[in-house]
Amino acid sequence: MKPKLVDNLSIPELKKICNFLKGVAKAAGKMILAADPSVDGSEEKNNTSDRVTATDKAVEAMIHAELTANYPDFDFLGEESFKAGQKLSKKPTFVVDPIDGTLNFCHGFPNAAVSLALTIRRKPVVGVVYNPFRGDLFYATQGCGAVLQKADGSKKKLGLNPRPISSLNDCLVAVEWGNQRTGPNWQLRTRMAMDFMTAKKDGGRMCHSLRSSGSAALDFCYVAAGWIDVFWEGGCWVWDVAAGWIILLEAGGLVVSANPGDWEPGVEGRLYMGIAAAERQQQESIVEEVWAMMGEGKFVF
Amino acid sequence: MELDELREIHDFLITLAKRAGETITSAKPSTGAAGSKKNSVDLVTETDQAVEKAISTSLKEKYPSFSFMGEETYEPGTRLPPSPTFIVDPIDGTTNFVHGYPYVSISLGLAVNLQPVVGVVYNPFTRTLYSAIAGQGAFMNQSERLPLREPEPMHDLGELQVCVEWGSDRSGNDFHVKAHTFRRLAGSKEEGGAMVHSLRSFGSAALNLCGVASGNLDVYWEAGCWAWDVCAGMAILKEAGGIMVDANPGNWDPSLEGRRYLAVRNGEGQKEIVEQFWSHIQGRFEVGV
Repeated sequence: MKPKLVDNLSIPELKKICNFLKGVAKAAGKMILAADPSVDGSEEKNNTSDRVTATDKAVEAMIHAELTANYPDFDFLGEESFKAGQKLSKKPTFVVDPIDGTLNFCHGFPNAAVSLALTIRRKPVVGVVYNPFRGDLFYATQGCGAVLQKADGSKKKLGLNPRPISSLNDCLVAVEWGNQRTGPNWQLRTRMAMDFMTAKKDGGRMCHSLRSSGSAALDFCYVAAGWIDVFWEGGCWVWDVAAGWIILLEAGGLVVSANPGDWEPGVEGRLYMGIAAAERQQQESIVEEVWAMMGEGKFVF
Repeated sequence: MELDELREIHDFLITLAKRAGETITSAKPSTGAAGSKKNSVDLVTETDQAVEKAISTSLKEKYPSFSFMGEETYEPGTRLPPSPTFIVDPIDGTTNFVHGYPYVSISLGLAVNLQPVVGVVYNPFTRTLYSAIAGQGAFMNQSERLPLREPEPMHDLGELQVCVEWGSDRSGNDFHVKAHTFRRLAGSKEEGGAMVHSLRSFGSAALNLCGVASGNLDVYWEAGCWAWDVCAGMAILKEAGGIMVDANPGNWDPSLEGRRYLAVRNGEGQKEIVEQFWSHIQGRFEVGV
Protein backbone atom coordinates (compact mmCIF):
# COMPACT_ATOMS: atom_id res chain seq x y z
CA MET A 1 0.00 0.00 0.00
CA LYS A 2 1.32 3.41 -0.93
CA PRO A 3 2.39 5.35 2.17
CA LYS A 4 0.31 8.44 2.77
CA LEU A 5 3.26 10.52 3.95
CA VAL A 6 2.49 13.96 2.69
CA ASP A 7 6.13 14.92 2.25
CA ASN A 8 6.97 11.97 0.03
CA LEU A 9 5.22 13.10 -3.09
CA SER A 10 5.90 11.17 -6.26
CA ILE A 11 6.86 12.85 -9.52
CA PRO A 12 3.39 12.29 -11.04
CA GLU A 13 1.87 13.88 -7.94
CA LEU A 14 4.23 16.84 -8.23
CA LYS A 15 3.36 17.23 -11.89
CA LYS A 16 -0.29 17.26 -10.97
CA ILE A 17 0.42 20.06 -8.51
CA CYS A 18 2.32 21.92 -11.23
CA ASN A 19 -0.66 21.68 -13.57
CA PHE A 20 -2.94 22.82 -10.79
CA LEU A 21 -0.69 25.81 -10.08
CA LYS A 22 -0.67 26.73 -13.77
CA GLY A 23 -4.46 26.98 -13.63
CA VAL A 24 -4.31 29.10 -10.49
CA ALA A 25 -1.69 31.33 -12.09
CA LYS A 26 -3.91 31.87 -15.13
CA ALA A 27 -6.83 32.80 -12.88
CA ALA A 28 -4.59 35.24 -11.02
CA GLY A 29 -3.46 36.64 -14.36
CA LYS A 30 -7.05 37.38 -15.33
CA MET A 31 -7.58 39.31 -12.10
CA ILE A 32 -4.36 41.23 -12.67
CA LEU A 33 -5.28 42.18 -16.24
CA ALA A 34 -8.75 43.29 -15.16
CA ALA A 35 -7.38 45.62 -12.51
CA ASP A 36 -6.94 49.31 -13.12
CA PRO A 37 -3.94 50.12 -11.00
CA SER A 38 -2.37 53.49 -10.49
CA VAL A 39 0.51 54.85 -8.48
CA ASP A 40 -1.91 57.01 -6.55
CA GLY A 41 -4.11 54.07 -5.69
CA SER A 42 -1.21 52.13 -4.20
CA GLU A 43 0.05 52.24 -0.64
CA GLU A 44 3.51 52.36 0.86
CA LYS A 45 4.91 49.55 2.97
CA ASN A 46 8.44 50.20 4.25
CA ASN A 47 9.02 53.25 2.07
CA THR A 48 7.78 55.01 -1.07
CA SER A 49 9.35 52.40 -3.35
CA ASP A 50 7.90 49.45 -1.44
CA ARG A 51 4.30 49.42 -2.61
CA VAL A 52 1.20 47.27 -2.45
CA THR A 53 -2.15 47.53 -4.17
CA ALA A 54 -5.63 46.22 -3.52
CA THR A 55 -5.02 43.84 -6.41
CA ASP A 56 -1.97 42.25 -4.71
CA LYS A 57 -4.15 41.52 -1.68
CA ALA A 58 -7.17 40.31 -3.62
CA VAL A 59 -5.09 38.02 -5.81
CA GLU A 60 -3.32 36.52 -2.83
CA ALA A 61 -6.66 35.93 -1.10
CA MET A 62 -7.98 34.10 -4.18
CA ILE A 63 -4.82 31.99 -4.43
CA HIS A 64 -4.90 31.19 -0.73
CA ALA A 65 -8.52 30.06 -1.00
CA GLU A 66 -7.81 27.82 -4.01
CA LEU A 67 -4.68 26.27 -2.57
CA THR A 68 -6.05 25.58 0.88
CA ALA A 69 -9.26 24.13 -0.56
CA ASN A 70 -7.35 21.67 -2.76
CA TYR A 71 -4.39 20.91 -0.50
CA PRO A 72 -5.58 21.52 3.06
CA ASP A 73 -2.63 19.67 4.58
CA PHE A 74 -0.02 21.89 2.99
CA ASP A 75 1.29 25.07 4.58
CA PHE A 76 1.04 28.50 2.94
CA LEU A 77 3.48 31.43 2.89
CA GLY A 78 2.41 34.49 0.90
CA GLU A 79 3.86 37.96 0.66
CA GLU A 80 0.77 39.82 1.75
CA SER A 81 0.00 37.58 4.73
CA PHE A 82 3.59 37.09 5.85
CA LYS A 83 4.28 37.68 9.54
CA ALA A 84 7.74 38.99 10.42
CA GLY A 85 9.88 36.06 11.56
CA GLN A 86 7.71 33.47 9.81
CA LYS A 87 9.84 30.61 8.53
CA LEU A 88 9.30 27.75 6.13
CA SER A 89 8.59 24.42 7.78
CA LYS A 90 9.77 21.11 6.33
CA LYS A 91 6.20 20.32 5.36
CA PRO A 92 5.04 20.90 1.81
CA THR A 93 4.45 24.63 1.63
CA PHE A 94 3.03 26.82 -1.11
CA VAL A 95 5.09 29.98 -1.42
CA VAL A 96 3.23 32.77 -3.17
CA ASP A 97 3.86 36.23 -4.56
CA PRO A 98 0.59 37.48 -6.07
CA ILE A 99 2.33 40.24 -8.06
CA ASP A 100 6.09 40.30 -8.34
CA GLY A 101 6.91 43.67 -9.89
CA THR A 102 4.22 45.73 -8.17
CA LEU A 103 5.89 48.98 -9.22
CA ASN A 104 5.75 47.95 -12.86
CA PHE A 105 2.14 46.95 -12.33
CA CYS A 106 1.24 50.35 -10.84
CA HIS A 107 2.94 52.17 -13.68
CA GLY A 108 1.48 49.92 -16.37
CA PHE A 109 4.79 48.42 -17.49
CA PRO A 110 4.16 44.86 -18.73
CA ASN A 111 6.90 43.07 -16.76
CA ALA A 112 5.19 41.69 -13.66
CA ALA A 113 4.20 38.15 -12.71
CA VAL A 114 2.39 35.90 -10.29
CA SER A 115 4.85 33.47 -8.69
CA LEU A 116 3.69 30.14 -7.19
CA ALA A 117 6.00 27.52 -5.74
CA LEU A 118 5.84 24.35 -3.70
CA THR A 119 8.67 23.69 -1.27
CA ILE A 120 9.31 20.43 0.57
CA ARG A 121 11.89 20.34 3.33
CA ARG A 122 12.56 23.99 2.45
CA LYS A 123 13.53 23.26 -1.12
CA PRO A 124 11.49 24.37 -4.13
CA VAL A 125 10.22 21.36 -6.09
CA VAL A 126 7.53 22.93 -8.26
CA GLY A 127 7.50 26.46 -9.68
CA VAL A 128 5.16 28.48 -11.87
CA VAL A 129 5.75 32.11 -12.91
CA TYR A 130 3.16 33.76 -15.14
CA ASN A 131 3.39 37.23 -16.74
CA PRO A 132 -0.17 37.87 -17.92
CA PHE A 133 0.84 41.02 -19.82
CA ARG A 134 3.05 39.08 -22.20
CA GLY A 135 1.33 35.73 -21.79
CA ASP A 136 4.64 34.09 -20.81
CA LEU A 137 4.17 31.05 -18.55
CA PHE A 138 7.37 29.59 -17.09
CA TYR A 139 7.12 26.35 -15.11
CA ALA A 140 9.09 23.41 -13.79
CA THR A 141 8.70 20.27 -11.73
CA GLN A 142 11.71 18.66 -10.09
CA GLY A 143 13.22 16.09 -12.42
CA CYS A 144 11.08 17.10 -15.40
CA GLY A 145 12.84 20.08 -16.92
CA ALA A 146 11.69 23.69 -17.32
CA VAL A 147 9.33 25.06 -19.94
CA LEU A 148 8.31 28.43 -21.36
CA GLN A 149 4.79 28.37 -22.75
CA LYS A 150 3.91 31.46 -24.76
CA ALA A 151 0.61 33.19 -25.45
CA ASP A 152 0.18 31.34 -28.73
CA GLY A 153 0.38 28.02 -26.87
CA SER A 154 3.83 27.07 -28.16
CA LYS A 155 6.10 25.40 -25.61
CA LYS A 156 9.85 25.54 -25.43
CA LYS A 157 12.01 23.42 -23.16
CA LEU A 158 14.58 25.70 -21.50
CA GLY A 159 18.32 25.27 -21.21
CA LEU A 160 18.76 22.86 -24.12
CA ASN A 161 21.37 24.76 -26.11
CA PRO A 162 23.40 26.82 -23.69
CA ARG A 163 25.94 29.20 -25.14
CA PRO A 164 29.43 28.99 -23.72
CA ILE A 165 30.29 31.73 -21.23
CA SER A 166 33.94 32.13 -20.42
CA SER A 167 33.88 35.29 -18.32
CA LEU A 168 31.69 38.19 -17.23
CA ASN A 169 32.95 40.05 -20.32
CA ASP A 170 30.59 37.81 -22.36
CA CYS A 171 27.65 38.11 -20.00
CA LEU A 172 24.38 39.97 -19.88
CA VAL A 173 23.80 40.62 -16.17
CA ALA A 174 20.57 41.39 -14.34
CA VAL A 175 20.59 43.47 -11.17
CA GLU A 176 17.82 45.33 -9.41
CA TRP A 177 18.01 48.50 -7.35
CA GLY A 178 15.71 47.34 -4.56
CA ASN A 179 13.93 49.64 -2.17
CA GLN A 180 16.68 50.02 0.42
CA ARG A 181 18.42 53.14 -0.92
CA THR A 182 20.85 53.98 1.85
CA GLY A 183 23.38 52.20 4.02
CA PRO A 184 26.02 49.52 3.39
CA ASN A 185 23.78 47.21 1.31
CA TRP A 186 22.96 50.13 -0.99
CA GLN A 187 26.63 51.10 -1.25
CA LEU A 188 27.53 47.52 -2.17
CA ARG A 189 24.79 47.23 -4.75
CA THR A 190 25.59 50.49 -6.52
CA ARG A 191 29.33 49.83 -6.46
CA MET A 192 28.83 46.36 -7.95
CA ALA A 193 26.57 47.69 -10.72
CA MET A 194 29.30 50.09 -11.76
CA ASP A 195 32.05 47.47 -11.46
CA PHE A 196 30.12 45.01 -13.66
CA MET A 197 30.07 47.62 -16.40
CA THR A 198 33.38 49.44 -16.03
CA ALA A 199 36.16 48.94 -18.57
CA LYS A 200 38.73 46.32 -17.65
CA LYS A 201 41.51 48.88 -17.82
CA ASP A 202 39.78 50.70 -14.97
CA GLY A 203 39.33 47.55 -12.90
CA GLY A 204 35.84 46.57 -14.03
CA ARG A 205 34.47 43.40 -15.59
CA MET A 206 33.13 45.04 -18.77
CA CYS A 207 30.13 42.75 -19.03
CA HIS A 208 27.94 43.01 -22.14
CA SER A 209 25.37 45.06 -20.30
CA LEU A 210 23.14 45.37 -17.26
CA ARG A 211 19.40 44.85 -17.26
CA SER A 212 17.02 45.94 -14.53
CA SER A 213 13.52 44.78 -15.30
CA GLY A 214 11.78 45.08 -11.94
CA SER A 215 10.76 41.50 -11.16
CA ALA A 216 13.08 39.02 -9.45
CA ALA A 217 10.82 36.09 -10.37
CA LEU A 218 11.01 37.01 -14.04
CA ASP A 219 14.76 37.71 -13.79
CA PHE A 220 15.24 34.10 -12.60
CA CYS A 221 13.10 32.90 -15.51
CA TYR A 222 15.06 34.98 -18.01
CA VAL A 223 18.26 33.31 -16.74
CA ALA A 224 16.52 29.95 -17.13
CA ALA A 225 15.65 30.91 -20.70
CA GLY A 226 19.28 31.86 -21.34
CA TRP A 227 18.35 35.47 -22.21
CA ILE A 228 20.29 36.70 -19.18
CA ASP A 229 23.48 34.98 -18.01
CA VAL A 230 23.74 36.15 -14.40
CA PHE A 231 21.25 37.50 -11.89
CA TRP A 232 22.85 38.85 -8.73
CA GLU A 233 20.48 39.98 -6.02
CA GLY A 234 20.24 40.53 -2.30
CA GLY A 235 17.27 41.71 -0.31
CA CYS A 236 14.30 40.22 -2.07
CA TRP A 237 12.31 37.49 -0.35
CA VAL A 238 11.54 33.78 -0.55
CA TRP A 239 8.22 34.42 -2.32
CA ASP A 240 10.02 36.37 -5.07
CA VAL A 241 12.39 33.55 -5.90
CA ALA A 242 11.06 30.14 -4.84
CA ALA A 243 9.38 29.40 -8.17
CA GLY A 244 12.12 30.94 -10.33
CA TRP A 245 14.68 28.92 -8.36
CA ILE A 246 13.38 25.50 -9.39
CA ILE A 247 12.69 26.74 -12.93
CA LEU A 248 16.32 27.81 -13.23
CA LEU A 249 17.71 24.59 -11.73
CA GLU A 250 15.57 22.48 -14.03
CA ALA A 251 16.89 24.49 -16.99
CA GLY A 252 20.44 23.48 -16.03
CA GLY A 253 21.21 26.68 -14.18
CA LEU A 254 23.08 27.13 -10.93
CA VAL A 255 21.84 28.98 -7.84
CA VAL A 256 24.36 30.15 -5.25
CA SER A 257 24.41 32.94 -2.71
CA ALA A 258 24.90 36.57 -3.66
CA ASN A 259 27.50 36.63 -0.88
CA PRO A 260 30.93 35.10 -1.41
CA GLY A 261 31.65 31.54 -0.46
CA ASP A 262 28.18 30.06 -0.04
CA TRP A 263 27.45 27.44 -2.70
CA GLU A 264 24.35 26.11 -0.90
CA PRO A 265 22.14 29.09 -0.10
CA GLY A 266 18.80 28.59 1.59
CA VAL A 267 15.74 29.69 -0.34
CA GLU A 268 14.76 32.05 2.51
CA GLY A 269 18.25 33.55 2.80
CA ARG A 270 17.48 36.67 0.73
CA LEU A 271 20.83 36.27 -1.03
CA TYR A 272 20.73 34.89 -4.55
CA MET A 273 22.85 34.54 -7.62
CA GLY A 274 21.52 32.64 -10.60
CA ILE A 275 23.76 31.51 -13.44
CA ALA A 276 22.45 30.31 -16.82
CA ALA A 277 22.94 26.76 -18.06
CA ALA A 278 26.49 26.10 -19.21
CA GLU A 279 29.21 23.61 -18.39
CA ARG A 280 29.53 23.43 -14.61
CA GLN A 281 33.12 24.65 -14.78
CA GLN A 282 32.08 27.78 -16.69
CA GLN A 283 29.26 28.47 -14.27
CA GLU A 284 31.57 28.11 -11.28
CA SER A 285 34.15 30.35 -12.86
CA ILE A 286 31.54 33.10 -13.33
CA VAL A 287 30.44 32.71 -9.70
CA GLU A 288 34.05 33.05 -8.52
CA GLU A 289 34.50 36.12 -10.71
CA VAL A 290 31.46 37.84 -9.20
CA TRP A 291 32.44 36.92 -5.65
CA ALA A 292 35.96 38.22 -6.26
CA MET A 293 34.48 41.56 -7.38
CA MET A 294 32.86 41.90 -3.98
CA GLY A 295 36.15 41.90 -2.11
CA GLU A 296 35.33 42.24 1.57
CA GLY A 297 31.82 43.41 0.80
CA LYS A 298 28.72 41.39 1.51
CA PHE A 299 25.01 41.97 1.94
CA VAL A 300 23.62 41.89 5.46
CA PHE A 301 19.85 41.61 5.82
CA MET B 1 4.94 67.38 -47.16
CA GLU B 2 1.30 66.45 -47.76
CA LEU B 3 -0.48 64.27 -45.22
CA ASP B 4 -1.33 61.72 -47.91
CA GLU B 5 2.31 61.32 -48.75
CA LEU B 6 3.24 60.98 -45.06
CA ARG B 7 0.55 58.33 -44.61
CA GLU B 8 1.84 56.40 -47.57
CA ILE B 9 5.37 56.55 -46.17
CA HIS B 10 4.07 55.48 -42.72
CA ASP B 11 2.28 52.47 -44.20
CA PHE B 12 5.31 51.51 -46.27
CA LEU B 13 7.61 51.73 -43.26
CA ILE B 14 5.29 49.39 -41.37
CA THR B 15 5.49 46.86 -44.20
CA LEU B 16 9.29 47.11 -44.18
CA ALA B 17 9.42 46.77 -40.40
CA LYS B 18 7.32 43.62 -40.44
CA ARG B 19 9.39 42.11 -43.21
CA ALA B 20 12.58 42.89 -41.30
CA GLY B 21 10.95 41.36 -38.24
CA GLU B 22 10.67 38.01 -40.01
CA THR B 23 14.38 38.10 -40.82
CA ILE B 24 15.26 39.02 -37.26
CA THR B 25 13.12 36.41 -35.51
CA SER B 26 14.36 33.63 -37.74
CA ALA B 27 18.02 34.52 -37.37
CA LYS B 28 20.18 32.60 -34.94
CA PRO B 29 22.79 35.08 -33.85
CA SER B 30 25.53 34.15 -31.46
CA THR B 31 28.13 36.19 -29.69
CA GLY B 32 30.71 34.07 -31.47
CA ALA B 33 29.55 35.33 -34.83
CA ALA B 34 28.96 38.87 -33.66
CA GLY B 35 31.56 41.40 -34.53
CA SER B 36 32.27 44.38 -32.42
CA LYS B 37 32.63 47.99 -33.36
CA LYS B 38 34.36 50.41 -31.04
CA ASN B 39 34.92 47.95 -28.21
CA SER B 40 34.07 44.40 -27.09
CA VAL B 41 30.57 45.34 -25.98
CA ASP B 42 29.48 47.41 -28.98
CA LEU B 43 28.09 44.46 -30.97
CA VAL B 44 26.99 44.09 -34.55
CA THR B 45 25.81 41.02 -36.43
CA GLU B 46 25.33 40.01 -40.05
CA THR B 47 21.60 40.34 -39.48
CA ASP B 48 21.96 44.05 -38.61
CA GLN B 49 23.78 44.56 -41.89
CA ALA B 50 21.45 42.43 -44.03
CA VAL B 51 18.33 44.06 -42.62
CA GLU B 52 19.66 47.55 -43.18
CA LYS B 53 20.60 46.70 -46.74
CA ALA B 54 17.12 45.34 -47.50
CA ILE B 55 15.48 48.41 -45.99
CA SER B 56 17.71 50.97 -47.68
CA THR B 57 17.29 49.25 -51.04
CA SER B 58 13.50 49.34 -50.76
CA LEU B 59 13.47 52.96 -49.61
CA LYS B 60 15.85 54.16 -52.32
CA GLU B 61 13.75 52.43 -54.94
CA LYS B 62 10.46 53.99 -53.82
CA TYR B 63 11.79 57.38 -52.66
CA PRO B 64 14.91 58.05 -54.72
CA SER B 65 15.00 61.76 -53.88
CA PHE B 66 15.06 61.17 -50.12
CA SER B 67 18.29 60.86 -48.18
CA PHE B 68 19.09 57.85 -46.02
CA MET B 69 20.95 57.63 -42.73
CA GLY B 70 21.39 54.12 -41.34
CA GLU B 71 23.43 52.84 -38.44
CA GLU B 72 25.40 50.26 -40.36
CA THR B 73 26.35 52.52 -43.26
CA TYR B 74 26.85 55.76 -41.38
CA GLU B 75 29.99 57.75 -42.28
CA PRO B 76 31.31 59.48 -39.17
CA GLY B 77 30.93 63.23 -39.49
CA THR B 78 27.85 63.09 -41.73
CA ARG B 79 25.28 65.71 -40.74
CA LEU B 80 21.56 65.30 -41.15
CA PRO B 81 20.36 67.40 -44.10
CA PRO B 82 17.10 69.42 -43.86
CA SER B 83 15.69 67.58 -46.87
CA PRO B 84 13.54 64.49 -46.19
CA THR B 85 15.75 61.79 -44.72
CA PHE B 86 14.95 58.25 -43.62
CA ILE B 87 16.78 57.52 -40.38
CA VAL B 88 17.04 53.80 -39.71
CA ASP B 89 18.29 51.41 -37.06
CA PRO B 90 17.82 47.87 -38.38
CA ILE B 91 18.22 46.30 -34.93
CA ASP B 92 18.05 48.52 -31.89
CA GLY B 93 19.13 46.32 -29.01
CA THR B 94 21.74 44.18 -30.76
CA THR B 95 23.09 42.96 -27.41
CA ASN B 96 19.63 41.69 -26.50
CA PHE B 97 19.28 40.15 -29.95
CA VAL B 98 22.51 38.21 -29.53
CA HIS B 99 21.40 36.96 -26.09
CA GLY B 100 17.88 36.08 -27.16
CA TYR B 101 16.34 38.65 -24.81
CA PRO B 102 13.16 39.75 -26.58
CA TYR B 103 13.44 43.53 -26.17
CA VAL B 104 14.66 44.38 -29.63
CA SER B 105 13.24 46.71 -32.27
CA ILE B 106 13.47 47.95 -35.82
CA SER B 107 13.39 51.73 -35.76
CA LEU B 108 12.34 53.56 -38.93
CA GLY B 109 11.92 57.31 -38.95
CA LEU B 110 11.47 60.11 -41.44
CA ALA B 111 12.88 63.54 -40.62
CA VAL B 112 12.13 66.74 -42.51
CA ASN B 113 13.89 69.99 -41.57
CA LEU B 114 15.71 68.04 -38.88
CA GLN B 115 12.43 67.11 -37.15
CA PRO B 116 10.97 63.61 -36.93
CA VAL B 117 7.64 63.54 -38.79
CA VAL B 118 6.96 59.82 -39.13
CA GLY B 119 8.06 57.07 -36.74
CA VAL B 120 7.66 53.30 -36.78
CA VAL B 121 9.15 51.09 -34.05
CA TYR B 122 8.49 47.35 -34.14
CA ASN B 123 9.46 44.61 -31.68
CA PRO B 124 9.14 41.43 -33.75
CA PHE B 125 9.51 39.14 -30.71
CA THR B 126 6.48 40.51 -28.92
CA ARG B 127 4.85 41.64 -32.17
CA THR B 128 4.33 45.11 -30.76
CA LEU B 129 4.17 47.99 -33.22
CA TYR B 130 4.37 51.66 -32.27
CA SER B 131 3.76 54.32 -34.91
CA ALA B 132 3.01 57.98 -35.46
CA ILE B 133 2.61 60.65 -38.11
CA ALA B 134 3.09 64.28 -37.10
CA GLY B 135 -0.26 65.75 -36.16
CA GLN B 136 -2.08 62.41 -36.33
CA GLY B 137 -1.47 60.88 -32.92
CA ALA B 138 0.61 57.92 -31.79
CA PHE B 139 -0.60 54.33 -31.64
CA MET B 140 0.27 50.88 -30.41
CA ASN B 141 -0.59 48.16 -32.92
CA GLN B 142 -2.31 50.82 -35.02
CA SER B 143 -5.30 50.62 -32.74
CA GLU B 144 -4.56 51.78 -29.20
CA ARG B 145 -3.92 55.46 -28.79
CA LEU B 146 -0.89 56.53 -26.76
CA PRO B 147 -0.62 57.16 -23.89
CA LEU B 148 -2.37 53.92 -22.98
CA ARG B 149 -4.19 55.26 -19.97
CA GLU B 150 -5.16 58.61 -18.48
CA PRO B 151 -1.83 60.06 -17.29
CA GLU B 152 -1.45 60.68 -13.57
CA PRO B 153 0.02 64.09 -12.71
CA MET B 154 3.74 64.06 -11.88
CA HIS B 155 4.56 65.98 -8.72
CA ASP B 156 7.90 64.60 -7.71
CA LEU B 157 10.67 62.44 -9.15
CA GLY B 158 10.12 60.20 -6.13
CA GLU B 159 6.90 58.88 -7.71
CA LEU B 160 8.44 58.03 -11.04
CA GLN B 161 9.76 55.03 -12.89
CA VAL B 162 12.99 56.19 -14.57
CA CYS B 163 14.57 54.40 -17.51
CA VAL B 164 18.32 54.65 -18.08
CA GLU B 165 20.93 52.75 -20.08
CA TRP B 166 24.59 52.28 -19.29
CA GLY B 167 25.73 52.32 -22.93
CA SER B 168 28.85 50.95 -24.52
CA ASP B 169 31.31 53.60 -23.30
CA ARG B 170 32.72 52.12 -20.09
CA SER B 171 35.25 54.71 -19.04
CA GLY B 172 35.67 58.45 -19.14
CA ASN B 173 33.57 61.42 -18.25
CA ASP B 174 30.20 60.43 -19.67
CA PHE B 175 30.25 56.92 -18.14
CA HIS B 176 30.91 58.46 -14.74
CA VAL B 177 28.20 61.09 -15.19
CA LYS B 178 25.77 58.22 -15.79
CA ALA B 179 26.92 55.97 -12.94
CA HIS B 180 26.96 58.73 -10.34
CA THR B 181 23.64 60.17 -11.49
CA PHE B 182 21.93 56.75 -11.36
CA ARG B 183 23.01 56.41 -7.76
CA ARG B 184 21.77 59.89 -6.98
CA LEU B 185 18.41 59.44 -8.70
CA ALA B 186 17.64 56.26 -6.81
CA GLY B 187 19.28 57.23 -3.52
CA SER B 188 17.36 58.16 -0.40
CA LYS B 189 16.14 61.72 0.05
CA GLU B 190 17.90 61.93 3.40
CA GLU B 191 21.16 61.73 1.47
CA GLY B 192 20.14 64.18 -1.24
CA GLY B 193 18.84 61.60 -3.67
CA ALA B 194 15.57 61.68 -5.59
CA MET B 195 14.32 58.29 -4.31
CA VAL B 196 12.73 57.50 -7.64
CA HIS B 197 10.35 54.53 -7.54
CA SER B 198 12.68 52.51 -9.67
CA LEU B 199 15.46 52.53 -12.23
CA ARG B 200 14.88 50.37 -15.24
CA SER B 201 17.27 49.30 -18.01
CA PHE B 202 16.09 47.19 -20.91
CA GLY B 203 18.52 47.76 -23.77
CA SER B 204 16.66 49.43 -26.64
CA ALA B 205 16.43 53.23 -26.82
CA ALA B 206 13.66 53.11 -29.40
CA LEU B 207 11.49 50.84 -27.25
CA ASN B 208 12.30 52.90 -24.17
CA LEU B 209 10.95 56.01 -25.93
CA CYS B 210 7.83 54.05 -26.84
CA GLY B 211 7.47 53.08 -23.17
CA VAL B 212 7.58 56.74 -22.22
CA ALA B 213 5.09 57.50 -25.00
CA SER B 214 2.87 54.71 -23.68
CA GLY B 215 3.13 56.15 -20.18
CA ASN B 216 4.49 53.05 -18.45
CA LEU B 217 7.90 54.62 -18.13
CA ASP B 218 7.83 58.18 -16.86
CA VAL B 219 11.24 59.43 -17.90
CA TYR B 220 14.07 58.15 -20.09
CA TRP B 221 17.48 59.77 -19.77
CA GLU B 222 20.13 58.91 -22.30
CA ALA B 223 23.38 60.10 -23.84
CA GLY B 224 25.67 58.44 -26.34
CA CYS B 225 23.09 56.87 -28.59
CA TRP B 226 22.46 58.19 -32.09
CA ALA B 227 19.80 59.80 -34.27
CA TRP B 228 18.77 56.40 -35.67
CA ASP B 229 18.03 55.13 -32.15
CA VAL B 230 15.66 57.99 -31.39
CA CYS B 231 14.20 59.51 -34.56
CA ALA B 232 11.19 57.22 -34.81
CA GLY B 233 10.69 57.12 -31.03
CA MET B 234 10.72 60.92 -30.85
CA ALA B 235 7.95 61.20 -33.43
CA ILE B 236 5.89 58.71 -31.40
CA LEU B 237 6.70 60.40 -28.09
CA LYS B 238 5.67 63.84 -29.31
CA GLU B 239 2.42 62.61 -30.76
CA ALA B 240 1.66 60.96 -27.42
CA GLY B 241 2.06 64.32 -25.67
CA GLY B 242 5.52 63.62 -24.30
CA ILE B 243 8.41 66.05 -24.47
CA MET B 244 12.08 65.69 -25.30
CA VAL B 245 14.73 67.97 -23.81
CA ASP B 246 18.51 67.72 -23.54
CA ALA B 247 20.12 65.17 -21.23
CA ASN B 248 22.35 68.02 -20.06
CA PRO B 249 20.71 70.65 -17.91
CA GLY B 250 19.39 73.84 -19.41
CA ASN B 251 18.56 73.06 -23.03
CA TRP B 252 14.84 72.68 -23.79
CA ASP B 253 15.40 72.19 -27.51
CA PRO B 254 17.75 69.29 -28.17
CA SER B 255 18.87 68.48 -31.68
CA LEU B 256 17.81 65.16 -33.20
CA GLU B 257 21.48 64.35 -33.82
CA GLY B 258 22.63 65.79 -30.51
CA ARG B 259 23.05 62.35 -28.91
CA ARG B 260 21.73 63.59 -25.56
CA TYR B 261 18.08 63.05 -24.71
CA LEU B 262 15.73 63.36 -21.78
CA ALA B 263 12.20 62.18 -22.53
CA VAL B 264 9.25 62.82 -20.22
CA ARG B 265 5.79 61.33 -20.66
CA ASN B 266 2.51 63.09 -21.16
CA GLY B 267 1.17 64.39 -17.87
CA GLU B 268 0.80 67.46 -15.72
CA GLY B 269 4.09 68.62 -14.24
CA GLN B 270 6.42 67.83 -17.17
CA LYS B 271 8.46 71.03 -16.88
CA GLU B 272 8.86 70.80 -13.12
CA ILE B 273 9.99 67.18 -13.46
CA VAL B 274 12.59 68.22 -16.05
CA GLU B 275 13.95 70.89 -13.69
CA GLN B 276 14.02 68.43 -10.78
CA PHE B 277 15.77 65.84 -12.92
CA TRP B 278 18.36 68.30 -14.19
CA SER B 279 19.14 69.30 -10.61
CA HIS B 280 20.30 65.75 -9.82
CA ILE B 281 22.67 65.27 -12.74
CA GLN B 282 26.25 64.75 -11.55
CA GLY B 283 28.28 66.71 -14.09
CA ARG B 284 27.68 67.25 -17.80
CA PHE B 285 27.88 64.95 -20.80
CA GLU B 286 30.56 65.72 -23.35
CA VAL B 287 29.07 63.69 -26.19
CA GLY B 288 27.20 65.30 -29.06
CA VAL B 289 27.37 68.26 -31.34
